[in-house]
Amino acid sequence: MRDLSLQRLADEMMQAWVIAVKDVRVYYLTPPMIMFGLLLPFFLFFSFSVKRNIGADVGLARLLALTTFFTASSAGPVIIPMERRTGTYDRLLAAPMSLMTLLLGKSLVGAFFAVMVSVVPLSIGVIFLGVSVADVGLLVVGILFSSLAFSALGLVFASIPARSVGSIMMPSTLIRWPLLFISGIFIPLSDMASWARPFAFLSPLTYAQDLFNQAVLGRGFLPYWLDIVVLPLLFLMFLAPCVYFHRRSRILGY
Amino acid sequence: MDAICVEGLTKYYGDLLAVDHVSFTVHQGEVFGFLGPNGAGKTTTQRMLTTLLEPTEGRIAVFGHDYARDAFPAKRHIGLVPEESNVYTELTAWENLMFTARLYRVPKAARQAQARELLESFGLWEKRHVKAESFSKGMRRRLSIAMALIHRPSLLFLDEPTPGLDVQSTRAIHELIRRMNAEGRTIFLTTHQIEEASQLCDRVAIINHGRIAAIDTPESLKRAILKVQSIEVAFNLTERDLAPQLRALDAVRTVAKMGDKWRLYTEDPSRVLISLLDFSRTHDLRVVSLCTLAPSLEDVFLEITGREVGSIRDERGRNASRRTGGER
Repeated sequence: MRDLSLQRLADEMMQAWVIAVKDVRVYYLTPPMIMFGLLLPFFLFFSFSVKRNIGADVGLARLLALTTFFTASSAGPVIIPMERRTGTYDRLLAAPMSLMTLLLGKSLVGAFFAVMVSVVPLSIGVIFLGVSVADVGLLVVGILFSSLAFSALGLVFASIPARSVGSIMMPSTLIRWPLLFISGIFIPLSDMASWARPFAFLSPLTYAQDLFNQAVLGRGFLPYWLDIVVLPLLFLMFLAPCVYFHRRSRILGY
Repeated sequence: MDAICVEGLTKYYGDLLAVDHVSFTVHQGEVFGFLGPNGAGKTTTQRMLTTLLEPTEGRIAVFGHDYARDAFPAKRHIGLVPEESNVYTELTAWENLMFTARLYRVPKAARQAQARELLESFGLWEKRHVKAESFSKGMRRRLSIAMALIHRPSLLFLDEPTPGLDVQSTRAIHELIRRMNAEGRTIFLTTHQIEEASQLCDRVAIINHGRIAAIDTPESLKRAILKVQSIEVAFNLTERDLAPQLRALDAVRTVAKMGDKWRLYTEDPSRVLISLLDFSRTHDLRVVSLCTLAPSLEDVFLEITGREVGSIRDERGRNASRRTGGER
């Protein structure tokens, strides 16, 4: 019995991986993914950073937080409604695996996109602008953990029962933008008014930004271990209700 | 053991009752047809049977595996071919099959051998490295069926497999269904095409307003409504609208125009024959052809669902044009 459970667990992990690999191949060049996942973080960065006289290292840490946040949290809201519309989502739901496995696979896709996209600013910053990374290990952990947490956040949005990308992107934008503005991205936590700081701690982006500051600049506001603990917890916190919300969508026929 | 056992299956969408305490069984190795007009609850029932939709209440068991306890083992027995061919158009035929095989944990050696066998038997081997986006509707359909078979399921669900396909593709798919059934697979066929069900199915269920209205073999259902027989007649003049006069003939229940012919539905064909000959004489018409017809499965369907002959033909035409209009 125990062997069977272990076999099933191994099978389900492999199925999540198979879904992730397929999604990467099928969706990496779709227009909504390019728009919301690739271009948007760069537009945002330039909108809020040009002529503000910030150092290249500060800019790099900020851009890494923006890319992992927007790219990872866009994958689910782009891919799942597209798959619902084409009927390919039914193919996954009918396969012998749990809904958690399916969502785990989808979260890996978002994380993979975010990791790939974050390589772009990282390469530019290090190679062309001469930014030196203070702690490479923290940087790798930061990119991985932030990407996973924000990808799971995207899946929460994707549980909205809809078959068009727009129907999910609109409410997701309504939530993501306030999370961006209350985080410590544009106003560092150390410069933030004391009354505003508790709001910043409500945004998952705050912890990612703080970890990237630790990794690139060598200084952060929070202890680095706290960021490292909070981000995986956020991943689990977002993934668990996803199963409930996606199950609700199935009851409604989506 | 039955392939499918359904008891009291019910589905509400909010206040709307889509499926109302449906119960039936599908025997192992049979082709089971599931018929019904639009909105009758066919697709909702099929989606619940394939675990895509959760029932409001009721019990489903596939090969003895109860969905309420654990649908996982049942899913291994099921292959699903939905109405829209849900292949990944960005992937090649081979990649589509490999992805599905990996998803069902088919071992590497077996998945490659099975993929080759399926692609060859479905006439897609030469196109295995071509992306599915350039496939015709018939090819996508065949690929979709191949993907449903890659893990060798013992129960195959086919939802409207042929609408919008040309005659050759339709015949090829009918042949495939017969072959898959001959190999021992149970087939659950949801269809609008009543003739298709009549040709392929061992038994059919007719669902109407969310309830099963009849379940039996096509021939038994036809025998049950022998009162709905018909006479088909063609006159030398086709441009005249004879419907009102024909409908007024003795013992005629309904009249339908079928191309250049008229079909007169009756419970007493001999009385209608006599009055029909009188009618042709008095209206100076020559009978070009005349035949009496036993009830078809379509007549059974219409009798049970209580709809006019014309309305179902219009609906089928609309469905066909909608599907062909929306796809390659």
